Amino acid sequence: MSMVIEARGLVRHYPSDGPPIRAVDGVDLVVEAGEAVSVMGPSGCGKSTLLHLLGGLERPDAGELHLAGARVDGLSETQWARFRRRNVGFVFQAFHLVDELTAVENVELPALLVGGSRRGARRRAMELLERLGVGDRGGQLPDHLSGGERQRVAVARALINEPMVVLADEPTGNLDSRATGDLLRLLGEVRQALLIVTHDARVASTADRLLTMRDGAIVAQTRLGAGTSVAGLLAELADLGGDR
Amino acid sequence: MRSPALAARLAGRNLRRRPGQALLLLLTLTIATGVLGVAMSVYGSADAPWDRTWRATDGFHVSFVVYHPPDEAGDRGLVAELRRRASRLTDAPGVVAAGGPWSHLYGSVRVAGGDEDLTAEVRDPGPYPVDQPLVTDGAWLGDGGGVVLEGGLAATLRAGAGDTVTIQGRPFPVRGVAETVSRGRFPLSRPAQVWVTPETASHLRDLGMREEGFELQLRLADPGAAAEFVAAHEALTAVPSATSVVAFMETWRQRRADSHADIDIVAGTLFAAGALIAILTVATASVLVAGRMAAQVRQVGTLKAVGVTPRQIVLALLVEHLAIAAAATAAGLGIGRLLAPPIAETSVTVLGRPEPPPLAVTRVAVVAAVAAAVVLLGTVRPALRGIRQSTLRSLTAGPRPPRHPGRLAGLAARTGIPLPGVLGLRSAWRRPGRLLTNATGLALGVAMIVVALALRDSLDLLDLRPPEPGHAASDAAVAVLYDQIRTIVLGAAGLLLVLATINAWIVAAFAARDAARNQAVLRAVGATPRQTVTALVVSQLGACAIAVAAGIPLGLGLWSLMEGGDLPEAEVSGRSLVLLAVAVPAVFAAIVSVPARLLARRPLAPTLAYE
Repeated sequence: MSMVIEARGLVRHYPSDGPPIRAVDGVDLVVEAGEAVSVMGPSGCGKSTLLHLLGGLERPDAGELHLAGARVDGLSETQWARFRRRNVGFVFQAFHLVDELTAVENVELPALLVGGSRRGARRRAMELLERLGVGDRGGQLPDHLSGGERQRVAVARALINEPMVVLADEPTGNLDSRATGDLLRLLGEVRQALLIVTHDARVASTADRLLTMRDGAIVAQTRLGAGTSVAGLLAELADLGGDR
Repeated sequence: MRSPALAARLAGRNLRRRPGQALLLLLTLTIATGVLGVAMSVYGSADAPWDRTWRATDGFHVSFVVYHPPDEAGDRGLVAELRRRASRLTDAPGVVAAGGPWSHLYGSVRVAGGDEDLTAEVRDPGPYPVDQPLVTDGAWLGDGGGVVLEGGLAATLRAGAGDTVTIQGRPFPVRGVAETVSRGRFPLSRPAQVWVTPETASHLRDLGMREEGFELQLRLADPGAAAEFVAAHEALTAVPSATSVVAFMETWRQRRADSHADIDIVAGTLFAAGALIAILTVATASVLVAGRMAAQVRQVGTLKAVGVTPRQIVLALLVEHLAIAAAATAAGLGIGRLLAPPIAETSVTVLGRPEPPPLAVTRVAVVAAVAAAVVLLGTVRPALRGIRQSTLRSLTAGPRPPRHPGRLAGLAARTGIPLPGVLGLRSAWRRPGRLLTNATGLALGVAMIVVALALRDSLDLLDLRPPEPGHAASDAAVAVLYDQIRTIVLGAAGLLLVLATINAWIVAAFAARDAARNQAVLRAVGATPRQTVTALVVSQLGACAIAVAAGIPLGLGLWSLMEGGDLPEAEVSGRSLVLLAVAVPAVFAAIVSVPARLLARRPLAPTLAYE
């Protein structure tokens, strides 16, 4: 399998009144194509910062980052934007849909940004919304959708350009248990490399591999199999001092 | 804590926390109050010097004037009858002294190489119980002939005692120069005036000067009763409708009001400019307060959650803005006192040095009322809207999401407009109140530019017009006055545009803040910073488009109201209007792109991590 994400010695420090906060402190990470990786750890351990670094929403202070075979840590804002629209899909806890755009317009946005035809983008967006079970909500503004519906629209938006990697930051954080179950089934169908930052052991257990972070570093890696239980994961996290 | 005390504390804290916004509001408000302050101080600044001359010359309280065109024979019998009627007035109850009737001769005097209309008032050497002209150079009428020049004529000719003037083509020695309130100053008041003795008048008649009427001047026991006196005796001025003889009576107050038309026109223009600027300042205050309320909505929620009442919150905002209004009133009146004298000194009608009238309570109250009205109009609506929001909604903050997808943007998307443009159009109508406020301000600025352009073209035509025989010097003085007005209109247009620019900047800055999350989302899904800047600029251009579409016809309409009188008709060229229609949006786009660019430079992660 080919490597989709390769990070070497990734560092991101934030200045503070005292010593700098080491949000990400020398992370090495490899994610293969089609692999699902979940990241868990206590609040403030650097999970979200790592995700932002991998998606170019933040710049590393040091280290190398390769995505889809290209070195990206030195890209400019504009280069990152162009790279991201083709190769990276984001799913956020707060959904982050554009309020002025309808559901289908939100989904087709990345396709239009890469220069696709309006008709083609609209067709693909509708297909994705149908597949995700919200085809009848395409003409609604985000404010008129439920949390679960919004997150499905966000997933559709992340997938429309068939990126190499989907980065999901607490994707179930604002969902009830039923919507969470639905979303997990959907994410299970994603063929792209998937990196999920989560506090939820049930979400983490759906991945192929679990990374545990503490103080900006990956302190454990666990290969998850069909027999991995949520209770086992929670116990493992407790041993590492993580929260649940 | 009682409401006023809490409101004062909250207001004081807000002023300290946001000095930039307070200063911006103070600046815009001071521009309005400053212009009004200048207008207030210019208006009436010729009254004190006029009063001084009036007192020094024992000026009239009531004047009885008869005029008949010198080119026509006139009705000698009627004029003689009017002279008899006038003489009867000297014994009327309330009259304590009379001067005249003085005969007036019509002719011409040479000024700057041309002939100007001239009135020679025929007087014996005096002294006179009413209107004893104040000699400022040389001597009054007496033996040996010669003429005494009215002060404005002497200033125009740069002539004084011992010089000669050319009247009816013949040189006459100047005995002296004198000021009086019975005539306005040449050249804005015409014809020019000289005083001559009966002997010189006889010589002038031989040279072709003709009778054109007379004036009788009266002093009353009670100057305040002048208007009643005129009303009681107006029947004496009655003349048959078919005659060309004109007879009328006038009070000293009427003559004073007519004596300095140039200052009144300048003050009137400044008042109009100040009013327009005040209207625009309402827009600025409104945008600032609305933006502040949007920014403080979470704080308002917190205050409401801990039990502060909506009334206290509005009171705090009002106290804060009324304090700014008070400061702007003081600054505006101070600016008026400083700037009024140099402006009034350009007048050619003032008898002596102009003096701004004292700061009467009414004048202070007018400026203060304008400043207070501006902040009240700008504050109350957005403040009330802010506090009407539910406490929970306030605590969750963020701009209100739209209720319907924008149809215009949908249409634009189908017509193939680039994606950033469509995204901009999507959010263009998100804050319709702000958009219209912004558009109003810009439209006023655009309208004033159109008026200034029309005025420029009209005055250029006026410059090209050949001077009319008999009052070229007056026409030149009028041209100078129009030039002053053009400067004021251009200055007002400039100030309006400065305010409109400040408005545009504030609106764009608040729009950028509102759009921060959406812009970050757009960038997260692959929009480049340039695309997000374009989207934000497009979202703001709607106001500019409305402003140009409304401002140009508004300006043309205002100009059509101003046309007439001595101004030649002028049409603003289509080329100028097209240039304006292109330049205003271009400048506007450049201004609003600055906050958009600043937003595009902000890191994405903190914006997306928030919530």
